[in-house]
Amino acid sequence: MANAVPLTPRISSVKRFYFLEYFYVLLKSIEKYADREQIFESFKVLKQKHRLGESKYRIRFDIEDASEELSEHQISRFRYTFDEVIDEAREYDLITEQQGTLHLTPRGAELLGLYEGGDVRRFNVFLFECMEKEYQEPFRYLVKLLYESSTKKPGLLIFPTYSPRQLGFRREEITRSADIMNYASVLVDRLERDIDEHLGMQRNLDEHNRELLARLQSSPSRLLPTAPSEQFDPRAYNKIIKRFRDHWIGYFLNKIYGYEQSLSSFERWTYRGKQIGIVYATDFYPSFEGRIVYPTSVVLGSAQSRDFRRLYEYRDGMGLFVHQPDWESISDEFVKELVNGYFTLRRSNRNYFVNLSSLRELVCYSLKISEYLFEEFLERAYRLNLSRKLPIGISLEVDKLPEETTAMYLKREPVLVDGRYRNIIAIDVAKRS
Amino acid sequence: MDKLTTRPTEPSPEDAPARFQRFNLYDNPFPANPVVNQDSTDKRINGDVYEMEIRSREYERMVRGFLQTPQTDVNHLRLGYIVDTSYIGRGNGKSAFLVNLQQAINREYCLDISNGVNKCFALYLKPEPGGRTKTFASFVDLLFHSMLRAGIVDTCLAILRLEALSRVYPDVPLEVGESDQELKDTVRALNSEEWYKDRQLEYRKIGRAIVENKYLQSLPLTFPILRETQYLRAEPVRQEDFEHTYCEGLRRPAERMEFVFTDLIRLFQAAGFNGAYVLVDDFEQIPSFQSARQRTDFASELRACLFDGLSLNARIGFYNLFLVLHAGVPRLIGEAWEQSGMAHRAPIEPPFAARHVIPFEKLSKAHAVLLLRKYLSEYRIDAAGSDGLAPFTEGAVNVIGEMSEYNAARMLLMAYQLLEKAASTEGQERIDEAFVESAKEELSLDLGRDIPGIQEAASLDLMKKAQDEE
Repeated sequence: MANAVPLTPRISSVKRFYFLEYFYVLLKSIEKYADREQIFESFKVLKQKHRLGESKYRIRFDIEDASEELSEHQISRFRYTFDEVIDEAREYDLITEQQGTLHLTPRGAELLGLYEGGDVRRFNVFLFECMEKEYQEPFRYLVKLLYESSTKKPGLLIFPTYSPRQLGFRREEITRSADIMNYASVLVDRLERDIDEHLGMQRNLDEHNRELLARLQSSPSRLLPTAPSEQFDPRAYNKIIKRFRDHWIGYFLNKIYGYEQSLSSFERWTYRGKQIGIVYATDFYPSFEGRIVYPTSVVLGSAQSRDFRRLYEYRDGMGLFVHQPDWESISDEFVKELVNGYFTLRRSNRNYFVNLSSLRELVCYSLKISEYLFEEFLERAYRLNLSRKLPIGISLEVDKLPEETTAMYLKREPVLVDGRYRNIIAIDVAKRS
Repeated sequence: MDKLTTRPTEPSPEDAPARFQRFNLYDNPFPANPVVNQDSTDKRINGDVYEMEIRSREYERMVRGFLQTPQTDVNHLRLGYIVDTSYIGRGNGKSAFLVNLQQAINREYCLDISNGVNKCFALYLKPEPGGRTKTFASFVDLLFHSMLRAGIVDTCLAILRLEALSRVYPDVPLEVGESDQELKDTVRALNSEEWYKDRQLEYRKIGRAIVENKYLQSLPLTFPILRETQYLRAEPVRQEDFEHTYCEGLRRPAERMEFVFTDLIRLFQAAGFNGAYVLVDDFEQIPSFQSARQRTDFASELRACLFDGLSLNARIGFYNLFLVLHAGVPRLIGEAWEQSGMAHRAPIEPPFAARHVIPFEKLSKAHAVLLLRKYLSEYRIDAAGSDGLAPFTEGAVNVIGEMSEYNAARMLLMAYQLLEKAASTEGQERIDEAFVESAKEELSLDLGRDIPGIQEAASLDLMKKAQDEE
């Protein structure tokens, strides 16, 4: 078996959605209805209920009211996602189609049972196995890529992004083509410096910058006028800035880290992997402007440490092991990192409370654990604290920090502890009596 | 070799200059950790080294709005806010200001400041860190303990005994000293049984004379000062007896509030005080840890005790509270203030300039010079032999000010570090712009305000962990 021919992962054929919960939403709808239209109606309702959006961020109800009339554009997007989920579910033999009606297979019913029984983790692992099999080991490829692309900080990929504001430009000052070019050149300087500093490489990005600008100026989009002094359509501002962002993230991915497929496929694999606990990705690591991605698992023949759990065994005898320590073995270290992270965040903030999601990013990176483990461990620590069995005091609140705006919470998932979403945390290290 | 008589090849130096001598200083006058600690003996951090001039505007507003208004005026302000408007965080000098304000009031119990209208004492208190002062009851405990710390109960007892003594034994001479220490000694003497025994005075008579005071008539018989004449052998009660009564005798929060907001006021009045100023530093530590509900409850109880309740304090306004608020706090407590009705009594963000809100402003260039000069002058070896700011140049102080955003604590910390660096650099006589500029890198690192980048952040090496034997 060890000499099996390595597979070529079908990473680019991944269907276009992020949340694994979509499978649940589909299976649940099919359990209730057989008619495709009825299933779609149920799918729409459940999708809103579970706050599943089309992007990798969950929908916030205060922003998007579920009861509102949906626009045609939205409906067509929903239908697209719906079709994609159906296709993928069929590939995994979760559903079958008989004379235009959809039905659950025994496998589909089993998977639905896992979710409804409250075992979301096993639900995710079930799907992980389907993906790994069907798409020829995409996650193995991803984890391997992470470790191979970054040796200085094992497995850590950085994707710096800077908005004009972060580079000291003011939005109202950016009106002409020349202003965008100016931003572009400052951005290139900054990225070159980052590559040098973080990755120890010398790169000249001028050519790629010219390529990007030429693309912005050329048809069909013609977002930027060719004459520098000419003004561009202010409505295109966000679109232009997003192009910059995607272009440079794509550059890092393809040219520096050697990922051979599109950025969007990479994003889908990483965010699906994040839900399973195989990799971690965030756009909100404190003190870093941009995205970071790192593995919370390894691909090895065997793992010596008991803190790893084998999720998958490959044909060549290698296995994918996720880092999943028990509370008993990690509790001291977890509490220590929680305190360290808390004080790190307080350095730039005189408030006693700090943003809990920022703290989560620091602790997860430091311990290389997944988001759901962080939640589980924090919950345990919090309960010990309530029964006064913890050497520190933890205070968790739903409120937001006064200096932070609602916009800062839009895309960041709050942390669910003790049945409530918490936004901020304060820690008291004074030994309690 | 004879180790007793053999001497080293190099003789020990007869003398050497002290580390900061060439700057005409006997020590580094700036604090390494610029956080006010009232109980410290180091004058760099206990608030002793203080340039009142820097905060003269705030002080004037305090005097005009509060200290000089007669306490007998029913409309005198009972709640004031010192609001930091600078948004530069801690270290703007609020604690130092309060500590010095307390000293200024207590120096003559406000008689000098108010031209004899008010006899008031000042208390300084700070909520316990980490959310331990969360309820109003715990705030009252804190208030009571600040009284004990200030020794105000002992002082009142001594005043009452002194007055009674002059009535009962008019012929016994008693000289009260002028200095702080002499005053303390007198207070201690008057409150000790031995002092009366030594002079063969019968304390029972003095105790009886005290309880005749009209303010003490409505007090319950369990109040400590009334107890001393109830038994056969009379002995002077002391502050510790009040503490014991409060901590052991009064268990319910309502009883404690009654004790602080009614009974104790009677004692203070009997001793001649007509008010008190309570300076609450770092007020944010209370609402920061409260839920929305707790904030409203707290505000409601505060309102009852200050303005609308049945306690004596609510009726006459004996205690005047000052809450020190950081820039973000008004927003934090605004809703609770609104719901509890406090916003009508004393709005935190009144639509027009109001006497009860004292803005605490950012320091200026001139203030920075004053601040550093004050610290330097306290540690001069020869006060006459320097221009005040040396070894710093005015230009350097400007740079320090700008770099630290005119935050007092950060300026002091920078000054400390710069002076340390200059002292270790041979031949460095002056600290000018160029020197500050050259030390900038080290300084900004040492101030350590930023979160370390992802490259510096420690992280577990999973691959290694997975492969290592346990």
